[in-house]
Amino acid sequence: MFRAKRRTVVTSAAVAAVLLAGALVVTLTQGSGQASGVTYVDGDNSQQVYAAGHRALAPDFTGTSLTGTPIRLASYRGKVVVLNFWGSWCGPCRAEGPTLAVLSQQYGSKGVSFLGDDVGDTNANALAFTHDVGISYPSVSDNSYSIVQDFSRVASVGYTPTTVVIDRTGHIAGLVIGTVSVQAMTTILNDVAAN
Amino acid sequence: MTDVHTPREQAAAKGEETSPFRITGTGPDESGTGAGTGQSGWLRWGWRQLTSMRTALVLLFLLALGSVPGSVLPQQGADPGAVQQYFASHPSLAPWLNHLGLFNVFAAPWFAAIYLLLFTSLVGCVVPRTFKLAGSARTPPPRAPRNLSRLPHSASYPSPLAPGAAVDAAAAMLGGQRFRLRRPASGDTGHWVSAEKGYLREVGNLLFHLALLGVLVSIALGGLFGYKADKLLVEGQGFSNTLGALDEFHPGRLVSGSDLAPFSLTLNRFSASYLTSGESRGQPSDFNASVSYSPSPGAPARTYNIRINDPLSVDSTKVYLIGHGYAPVFRVTDAHGNVAYSEATPFIPANTGTFLSDGVVKAPDASLGFMGVFVPTAVSVGGTLESAFPAADFPAVSLIGYSGNLGLNSGASQSVYQLNTAGMTKISGSPHLMLPGQTWALPGGRGAITFVGVKQWVSLAITYDPGQVPALVCGILALGGLLLSFLIRRRRVFVRAVPATSGGGSVVTVGGLARTDASGGFEEEFAELAAELAAGAGAAQPKPEPNNQSETGA
Repeated sequence: MFRAKRRTVVTSAAVAAVLLAGALVVTLTQGSGQASGVTYVDGDNSQQVYAAGHRALAPDFTGTSLTGTPIRLASYRGKVVVLNFWGSWCGPCRAEGPTLAVLSQQYGSKGVSFLGDDVGDTNANALAFTHDVGISYPSVSDNSYSIVQDFSRVASVGYTPTTVVIDRTGHIAGLVIGTVSVQAMTTILNDVAAN
Repeated sequence: MTDVHTPREQAAAKGEETSPFRITGTGPDESGTGAGTGQSGWLRWGWRQLTSMRTALVLLFLLALGSVPGSVLPQQGADPGAVQQYFASHPSLAPWLNHLGLFNVFAAPWFAAIYLLLFTSLVGCVVPRTFKLAGSARTPPPRAPRNLSRLPHSASYPSPLAPGAAVDAAAAMLGGQRFRLRRPASGDTGHWVSAEKGYLREVGNLLFHLALLGVLVSIALGGLFGYKADKLLVEGQGFSNTLGALDEFHPGRLVSGSDLAPFSLTLNRFSASYLTSGESRGQPSDFNASVSYSPSPGAPARTYNIRINDPLSVDSTKVYLIGHGYAPVFRVTDAHGNVAYSEATPFIPANTGTFLSDGVVKAPDASLGFMGVFVPTAVSVGGTLESAFPAADFPAVSLIGYSGNLGLNSGASQSVYQLNTAGMTKISGSPHLMLPGQTWALPGGRGAITFVGVKQWVSLAITYDPGQVPALVCGILALGGLLLSFLIRRRRVFVRAVPATSGGGSVVTVGGLARTDASGGFEEEFAELAAELAAGAGAAQPKPEPNNQSETGA
């Protein structure tokens, strides 16, 4: 009696286990059903500053500006560069636009260059926004996020918007994830400009 | 003949194997192994409980039960939109379900608890079993019992050979059938051989348990190092596989943004074919997303056609086609005639049969916003715009315009599929119908919108699951192990020979014992074996011994 019972138990356990394993594998590996929701991930407004000697080299890129002129990061070597990853579709980017416009004018005379990296956007939409807000510095057209991908290998670049500060030697000195504030940018820029 | 049977050997000969899945008592005092009293006793008892078969089964059942809400209720990880919808439609029930973690079952602590306990239970079962198997693989069969006729199966036959030679002949035959043999030690008297076969049963059993562990480990691997992401892509658009570019990203616990495979992919063209006649008119017959991709930055681009169930495999990451829709192209100009918006705008199918789709156009720099309905094949049903067919045979859009502040510049995140009209005023009373190429000059000189044309979009699922292949392999191994352990029986055969009472030769007795419960059919096998042994000794058919025991087991 006991043996027969045990065998039944073993069999049912085995069947249950195999079914379960199959179900789990299917559940965990299948794709989700529908595209939905917000098309970008929010930044968390955090700020990172790296000490000299601990800075990653910013990956060089060449691209075309929104108005069609070629842009190369390496040509900015010797200057401090503020590189803003943004898109005209992104609420926080639109909110920080006026701040960046003001900062670019303030720091332009101090040898700091501002550059935008316009992601997931069309040139027409982006230009309408920069014109609206009064941003005069150029943005490279990065619709497919390829420059973001390069930067994501060396720094916490991924969220839109993210603003990266590159020192005179082409290294990433600091970054702000999420909307920039004048205070945060001033802190990083003064620190980098002093060295 | 001075065979001494130790009680242990007799127990073994009777086929009472001790299972690692022990049936346990109700308390530490009943564990029967002299467990100490107090804490260590209870610990020991707890461990026995945990590693018992009953517990493993209960845990397996709970795991299966726990997976049910994971497939019945919408899951945060798979479809957050559906979870929100569920909250909206079940406002009183949903918070309770959420407290229980039922919208994220596979990440819930209670699910992890079941999973880990089952894992521990299996390890606690398999490890001792491995040692036991290793031990039993080295242990020779027990000595032949003195009275073979008491075994469940026995037979005897006369042999013209002397007892020693008769046993030698039997041993040679059994050895030829790949039995493991044991002969008397040099000091022993008597002529016998013990033979045992079917060790693979234990191997199969062990394989099953190990493979089950492997399945669990594989799933854990996928959960820790895998990721799942969604990306909506319009024809002509590309994206690089990086955090910022993805619409949804669900990383495993040990995945960071820089772990993503660095490929890039562009959707060149998407085509969908639909049945144009018959009962299932309008049903899709084929989907094809023609993409070019490059596995890493700077690598030469390749092309691929992603179809349903035919994902693109790049760098062990799979890209599946999971959805599609239409993206009407709009150009919006502001009051001064400057272009404020020019983009293919994904509309979401509201009716997956006819692809009547909803969407919004946001042109914040012209202070204009539009809510729209897109139909691929426009027909008028009682004055209402409807779609007659899912293909874009006669596309049209119907727009309602709004002017004012879209609220985008406040910095808050907005869904691209929703228009916040709180700070806006409606431009026209009734929806404005447009065909491709048409422009709607907005009243009051607010600007204009042009319906430029139609593109299609696809929704891609990007998944990386390092546990998928191991889980499959382990699943197959588990099945194989199970078959081995069910089909193979452990059985012992003993042969003893004593000199014949009259004349030369000897009388040979054969005893047989199936050690495991999977013993069906051993009777026939034993009869055949006895016949072969007898034939080998040149004897006639063996005659069955009168059997003292009618049944084995309790």
